[in-house]
Parts: sequence; C-alpha cells; structure tokens
Amino acid sequence: MNMRAGTLVAGLLLALGSGLAAQQDTTRLPTGVRLGLTYQTLQRARVAVRPFGSPAAQAALAADVTGIVRRDLNYSDRFQMADFIPSALAQGGAVDFKAWNGLGVVWLITGDVVPTGSGLALHLVLYDVVYGSVKQALNFPLPSPQSPDFRLAVHQASDMAVQWITGQPGIAATRIAYVVGSPQGGYAVRVVDSDGEGARTVAGAAGHITSPAWSRDGGRLAFARATGSHWDVLERDMATGATRVVLSRDGLVFTPAYSPDGRRLAFSSWNGRGTELQDYDVVQRCCLRRLTQGNAADLSPSYSPDGSRLAFNSDRLGQPAIYVMPAGGGPTDLLSPYTYGEPGYYTSPAWAPAGSQVAFHGRSRGEFQIMLADASRPGAPVQQITADGRNEDPSWAPDARHIVFSGVRAGGSGLYVIDVATGRVRPVLTGGRYRVPDWSPRLRTGAGAGTR
Amino acid sequence: MDRRVAFAVMAMAMAGGLAACHKKAPPVAPTPQVDTAAIRRAHEDSLRAAQAADAQRRLAADAEARARAAAAALESARAALAAPIYFEYDQATISDEAKATLDQKVAMLRANPDLKLRIDGNADERGSEEYNLALGMRRAEAARQYIAGFGIDAARLASMSNGEDKPTDPGHDESAWAKNRRDDFVITAGGEKITLPAGQ
Repeated sequence: MNMRAGTLVAGLLLALGSGLAAQQDTTRLPTGVRLGLTYQTLQRARVAVRPFGSPAAQAALAADVTGIVRRDLNYSDRFQMADFIPSALAQGGAVDFKAWNGLGVVWLITGDVVPTGSGLALHLVLYDVVYGSVKQALNFPLPSPQSPDFRLAVHQASDMAVQWITGQPGIAATRIAYVVGSPQGGYAVRVVDSDGEGARTVAGAAGHITSPAWSRDGGRLAFARATGSHWDVLERDMATGATRVVLSRDGLVFTPAYSPDGRRLAFSSWNGRGTELQDYDVVQRCCLRRLTQGNAADLSPSYSPDGSRLAFNSDRLGQPAIYVMPAGGGPTDLLSPYTYGEPGYYTSPAWAPAGSQVAFHGRSRGEFQIMLADASRPGAPVQQITADGRNEDPSWAPDARHIVFSGVRAGGSGLYVIDVATGRVRPVLTGGRYRVPDWSPRLRTGAGAGTR
Repeated sequence: MDRRVAFAVMAMAMAGGLAACHKKAPPVAPTPQVDTAAIRRAHEDSLRAAQAADAQRRLAADAEARARAAAAALESARAALAAPIYFEYDQATISDEAKATLDQKVAMLRANPDLKLRIDGNADERGSEEYNLALGMRRAEAARQYIAGFGIDAARLASMSNGEDKPTDPGHDESAWAKNRRDDFVITAGGEKITLPAGQ
C-alpha cells in the first residue's frame, strides 16, 4: 500500500521556527520534527457483523467467534463498525437488504459455526448491501476450541473478510513478541495475540533478555540473552519449541533482525570499544560479515522490504541517531533530524514491511515519542505521531500501517497500537512494563503457535 | 573460799551449765600468731593475678582492636574497590572525579595481584533499552581501559552491562538519574585478604 497515494495533509502540522534550542527545552519540538499525521481522507465503509448462527450446542461458542471477528474488523481501522444491530435484524435467515441499507450499512458479514466430520467450521458470507448481493463466501475449518490455534483460525477468517472488502488482508492473525522482567525477578520473552488475548511465556532466564525478532515467515523467533557478561542470540522454532544458540559472544551480541528472505541475520556485536553491525548466513551457518566498525554504538538493524538496505541506530556523531546504508555495509545516510548544537536522541528504528517509512522513537519536549521518517527522502522533516506520555520501541504490523510500541500513557503502562492512517491508538496489553515489542508477520495455524 | 569466790564459782557454773544445754564448749583456740610474711605473699599473689588478668584483658582488647582495625581497613579497602563512578547523560567519558575514584582502585589492584574486579555499566531509564545496554557496556569498558592504562592486566577486569535495569535510585528525576548513570565494581577474586597500598 502506498501511504502517500490519495492523501491530503489534513493533520495538525505545527510550523515551528528553526534555530538553536536549549539542551533540555521541553516546550518546543526539535528542529526537523513535525507533530501530527498525514491522514488519509478515504471513506471508511460501514460494516455490520450479524451474530453468527450455530446448532444450540455451539451457541456460546458462536457468540465468542462473533465477538472475535467483530473486534478484529474494528481493530483493522478500515471500517466504521455498526455497533448497534436491532434485534429484528440480529436473527438468522434471509438478509433484509433494505433494512440494513437503512442503517447505513455497506457491507454485512454473516456466519455460521457448524460441526463438520472432523470438528468445526466457520462458514462466512459477505454481502454487498448496496447491491443486495452475496459478494464472497467461504468455509474456514476451526481447530478444537481448546487448541491454542483456535483463535488464530478465527483471526484468519477475519483477515480474509478484510481482504474481501478492501483488497488487503487484515492483521488479526498475528502475534506480538515482547520482553517482561527485571534483574530481581528474571526475564521472559512472551507472545500475545494481536488483540491482546492469550499472552504466554515462550522463554525465560535469570539474566537479561531482550530484542525478540520474528523471521518473515513467522516460524522462528530470535532473541538475545545474557549470562553474566556472556551473551547469546538464540533462535526458537515456534512450531516445535526447539531453541538453538545462533551467536555466542563475551560482551554484547543483540538486536538480531532477519532479512526478508530469511537467509541472513543482522545484529549488533561488541568489538571491545563499541558495538558494530555484523550479519551471518543462518541457513548455511556461515559467512559472518562486518557491516560497520569503530568506537560508536551501532545497533538495531532493520531491513528494507526488499532486503537491500538497513536502517540502524548509531551514536557516531555523539548522540544516537537513525541511519540508512546498503545491507552489506557502505555509505550511510542520516535519516533522523540533525541540527548542529541541538542535541537529539533517536533510537530503535523499524523499517516498514512495505514502502520506505522508518519508525523510531526520539526525544521531543522532554519525552520519547514515536516518529516516522521516509527513507526515500533523507533530510525531510520527520513526523511525530504520538504526544501522550512516553512511547518507545515501535514495530510494524505486516500491513505497514499499524505500529505497536511500548508506552507509559494515561491508559497505563503497556503495549499500544497506533494506526498510522487514522491516528487511532488502542491498548493491546496494559498493567506491566512490556518492552521491545516485535510484531509477527501473518501466521499460519500450526506454524507460529509456539505454545505446546 | 569466801562468799564472793563461791558466788563467782556458782555464776560460772551456771553459765557453763546454760551453755552446756546447747553445745559443747569449743576447744580453746591457741592465741593466733600473726604471720605478716604470708599476708604479704597472699597480697602480692593476688596483685600479680590481677595484673596478669588485666594484661590478658588488655592483650585481648588489643587483639580485638587490631582485628577490628584490620576488618575496618579491609572493609574500607573493599568499599574503595566497590566505589561506583558516575557519568554525564549519554556519555561514557571518565570525569576527573571518576579518575580519582579509579586511581584508588589502581593502587589497590597493584598491591594485590590476586584481586580481580567485574565492572558493571549502568544507564538511567531514559532512552531505549537496547541503546542503554550498549551505553552501559561502553561505560564499563571506559573504566576498564582507564585502569588497564596503568599497567594492570586487563584480564583481571571483566566488564558487563546492566543497561537501564539496575537503578540505584528508582526515582524519575535528574537526581535519581545522576545516581544511575554509573559503573559498579564487584570483587570477583582475591577479596578475602587485601593488602593496603603503601602509604595508606
């Protein structure tokens, strides 16, 4: 999806004078940062989800499934959801297009949870209310409701419904990996469904754990773990739970990132003076390369969608900033704002899985906020897309439109999602210090469960 | 016998009879001969014993005081070795104040060749978790290089980073952050007996 196609600058863009600022000025935005989003003016169609039918024995289950699909469509941020459905229309049977049309509904989704020979299936139908016709219909096999893949299978049906309407699949069948922990209580990598359900631990340790990173097929999750002054990067097979050590170093080795083809792993490694970027062929387990060198802290590599470039974090100019360079190393472009005499602080870059947007967090008005820069336009102003509380460590959903981040906000401390197209923010998981989230690609059932 | 003598005899007999009602009359003790030499000896003995006990006590107290002083010296040596150093925001540069603290450790490491230290770099809570891990590592390494610069074998110095996860002060203001931007020093070997450097 091209973020700039058919868009208008409709957001609040504060024009601010340039000039040198005091070091800890908390009243003005840094030079080169603009507050607000470039909103899309696309109309969001009104969608209704009629309560799904089922045999009496599955009535409660059908109600649950209806709730999951309704919420998934809501969280796609692509529709206006018809929250109120009159009881006359909530019944099963033939669709009264005129009545639905009268409610302003453009698309209607109906469904039935039905027993099949081997288990259950969700039969989903999409109606074009305006034209009074069936647009799409499909049977989605569902695993046992006790299976950890059950919700994932329902999310996949939701994502297909989003694709039927918009041409782009939804992002419900995804998971977010994150880290929770402290030196006192130990650390854990956890995984939670994109709607905040089913949080579970996939790895734990007494020592520091950080930097979870999904492979682009969702089958593997890499993360870094410390044992005293020794660090390992481990790779977990999410289907089998088998975990192997990929990299092992005295001193730091962390912030792994899989290349889009899944062959290479770029990461940051301590070189005795600073941290440098290296990469490694994880398929052939060979061919270590040094991508950067020096005394600086170079870390957090993030591949462009075609794998040809890397965004990364470095303090080679004194303050941490965001750079872009060829994936094999080479000349670098500064992407985050830089003004002589005005110290900035920009870290944790994440390149969108499509397009040229790079998200990161930077200090603005004394707090950290999520920002966006366009890697195809180095030096252009960056957009600050959050302003409430402290917000860090962005990671993109596979639709290159939603971003999960770690926030300390009015709604509490936890993981939040922002839709870059509308600016809407929703909590995923609150009530804890959940850090360094990484959003998975779309997952297939069985492949990315990682729960057994 | 005249009347007075008879009366006296009678009185004595009565007294004797009265006494006889309770117990036999004690044997008449010989008049004690006062042995002044023995008294002097006993006096001198007890004096000597007291002096010996006192000396013993003083010795014990001295030993205890010495032990206390040694323990205090060991403690202060350990404290000097463990004394943290502090950094400016987002910096891994050793300040003059930190150099003074590190110089004491250098002297201690020189005087105690078996002594080994681990240096733990720490960052305040601001900034990204991962950048702070890298920053903590460089802070630890900066101290390690400074000490090694005095000819101390770098193999005696390990370095690691806690990132922002081990604050000294859990507060959220500059005074807390200033305490948290630091290197901690942990004795990992040779800490049982520490020889103080000459002149200390």
